[in-house]
Amino acid sequence: MKRIKVLLALVLALAMVGGGTLALAEELKDFTIDPAKIPQEKLDTVVSLAVSVRGLENPYIATIKVGMEMFAVYLDSIGQKYEMQVLDSGGDSNKEVDNMRQFAANAGGNALAYSDPNENAIAYSLAEAMAEAGGFIGTAWNKPADVGPADLTPNWVIHTSPDNVINGYNTAKALFDYMGGKGKIFVCEGMLGNTAAIDRAKGLDQALAEYPDITVAGRDTGNWATAEALTLVETWLGKDPDVGGVWCANDNMATGALQALEKAGLKGKVGVTGVDANTDIVEAVRDGFAVATVSSNGYLQGGYTLAICYAAWAGLIDVTTLPPEYREFATPALLITKENAAEYLSSVPEFDFSKPFACKAD
Amino acid sequence: MAAKQPTPMTIAEEFAAKVRRDGQRERVMRYAPMIVLLALVLIFTAARGAAFASFTNMVAILNQLAIPLLVALGLTFVIMIGGIDLSINGTVGMAAALVGVLVMNNRFPLNLGFLGVLLAVLGSVLVGLAVGLIHVYLKIPSFMVSFAFMYVCKGLGLLSYAGQPPKIIDPLLVALPKTYWLGIPFITWVAVAVLLVCIFIQEYTAFGRYIYAVGTDETILRAVGVSVNRVKVMVFTLAGLCFGIAGVLYGIRLGQGDVTAGNDLMFPAQAAVVVGGTSLSGGKGGVTNTIVGVLIMTVLANGLLLVGVNSYIKTGIEGLIILTAVALTVAHGAKVVSK
Repeated sequence: MKRIKVLLALVLALAMVGGGTLALAEELKDFTIDPAKIPQEKLDTVVSLAVSVRGLENPYIATIKVGMEMFAVYLDSIGQKYEMQVLDSGGDSNKEVDNMRQFAANAGGNALAYSDPNENAIAYSLAEAMAEAGGFIGTAWNKPADVGPADLTPNWVIHTSPDNVINGYNTAKALFDYMGGKGKIFVCEGMLGNTAAIDRAKGLDQALAEYPDITVAGRDTGNWATAEALTLVETWLGKDPDVGGVWCANDNMATGALQALEKAGLKGKVGVTGVDANTDIVEAVRDGFAVATVSSNGYLQGGYTLAICYAAWAGLIDVTTLPPEYREFATPALLITKENAAEYLSSVPEFDFSKPFACKAD
Repeated sequence: MAAKQPTPMTIAEEFAAKVRRDGQRERVMRYAPMIVLLALVLIFTAARGAAFASFTNMVAILNQLAIPLLVALGLTFVIMIGGIDLSINGTVGMAAALVGVLVMNNRFPLNLGFLGVLLAVLGSVLVGLAVGLIHVYLKIPSFMVSFAFMYVCKGLGLLSYAGQPPKIIDPLLVALPKTYWLGIPFITWVAVAVLLVCIFIQEYTAFGRYIYAVGTDETILRAVGVSVNRVKVMVFTLAGLCFGIAGVLYGIRLGQGDVTAGNDLMFPAQAAVVVGGTSLSGGKGGVTNTIVGVLIMTVLANGLLLVGVNSYIKTGIEGLIILTAVALTVAHGAKVVSK
């Protein structure tokens, strides 16, 4: 009898734990930072924020820094003391790791960082540098497939990346809708063998399958380059001047496609899409010369990654119990079309950092 | 009176026969590039018919031909003296970047107009001069010097506009890529003009003769009191001029200052020069060979694109065809004794 009771208790306990984690996974998306639950000693500790990036001359990367500053405004609002800095690697992998090591060591356990590893291979070294000092880090975009946040729990909190398949699909869909669902398109793919290029092309193919009246009249790689896309589109226009759209895997190539169309007197008559939200293409979208592009939303990446790391540092979330899909996930990208292009150019989006997992795409 | 020979030929006759044979080989070699070009045109016309042989495609080929031709022209003289110039990606890219920065654009207040175009070209000329001087006076192989300058120029080009390419808004320069004369794009006319100047230099000036002589045997020139060093420096400077013009035109064609314009120009240019029949060991070939070589490379890229070869295997096919063309032209050349 006693044995049965023990067994029953065990089963009940297990069920509760199971139900608990289930509830946790569902509720995490709505998890809210409650400033009242943060001990005063934590609020009075100066927490060091950093974004580790390739170089601020790139407009996208500059938005990551702004994302950190937006999160800092939130920290002000809850009375958290902080300092912040940009770790600029200038595209040098060794320098990025050195920067991180120094930053983490100086701030001790009170370091929080967003990092865009310069290349896959250094993602682990960056997280390790942070783990040794006891701080918290979230990485974005690049890491090898076989290592991840789970290898350095709790310090490597998350790894996120915008979903390139969805980006490719969304721009293709916008283009096909612009064309009325039928007609010929040219395709300028990214560098063959490149993960982003493969995934974006996969998204395009998914959209093509949904639009049977769209035919591909020319498809080749433009190697991410403006000049090569110009040559491709110029050549294809010779045989198919009745083309309705040009899908490009990035905005640099969209610039080349627009230049070729302008030369042929077709700019504004043929739809063009890209990915990256380069200023000239967003302007072209606003002015009706291009159909769509995608912003990877650096504000969101920078701000929310730090918010999640902050929640871990403040003890509000327990990294060890976070389910895997909350350790590695996709962040939403922003599709820019004629409706929101002007707004995108003139304004900075607003976020509610009190719900850090709101940045997770479904 | 001579002792009996196994063949009835005298030495003089044998020599004459050998010269004739060599002459024949050389003629075959001379026409091989033309034959390759003709074969490509026939194959692509057969495969794509109207699409390939159309007027619009011819204009597109002429448009795409201009910049590789300019680059290959500069390189031809360098290769004729037995040197090599690997700075192309950088010098062309730097000029393409600078033109965007210096003329009326949407990012920088400088609005130097035509002077800006000249300054952008001048940058590459100075780099060519520097490559020549360092190569000659510090006795460093030209490939090493020019390779180093490739990086220097790329860096300077990128620095000039700090990441975000400036869009050219000078109305005259914006209109240029759309300007045609006799159905041929303006940019191609510039390339043709430079081509004519290069032919003139090669055929009708003493400098042109010296270039051949340096490639064949420097000691001869030294013996007659010509400064070989000066010839070499001038050749690299002339190459820099061609690369600069190519870069500026590329920037105008793209409609923006863009240092990446120079990427991937170098090896196709080297291939065009060699496919055209100019010997890498120097002293043989010339500007006219290079026209055919550039035509082969341009027609090949254009034709394969129109045929719609899967992009994963296209590059490989392109390589094989180039290899075949080189084998046809260079293998014969190697047997020719007289250099």
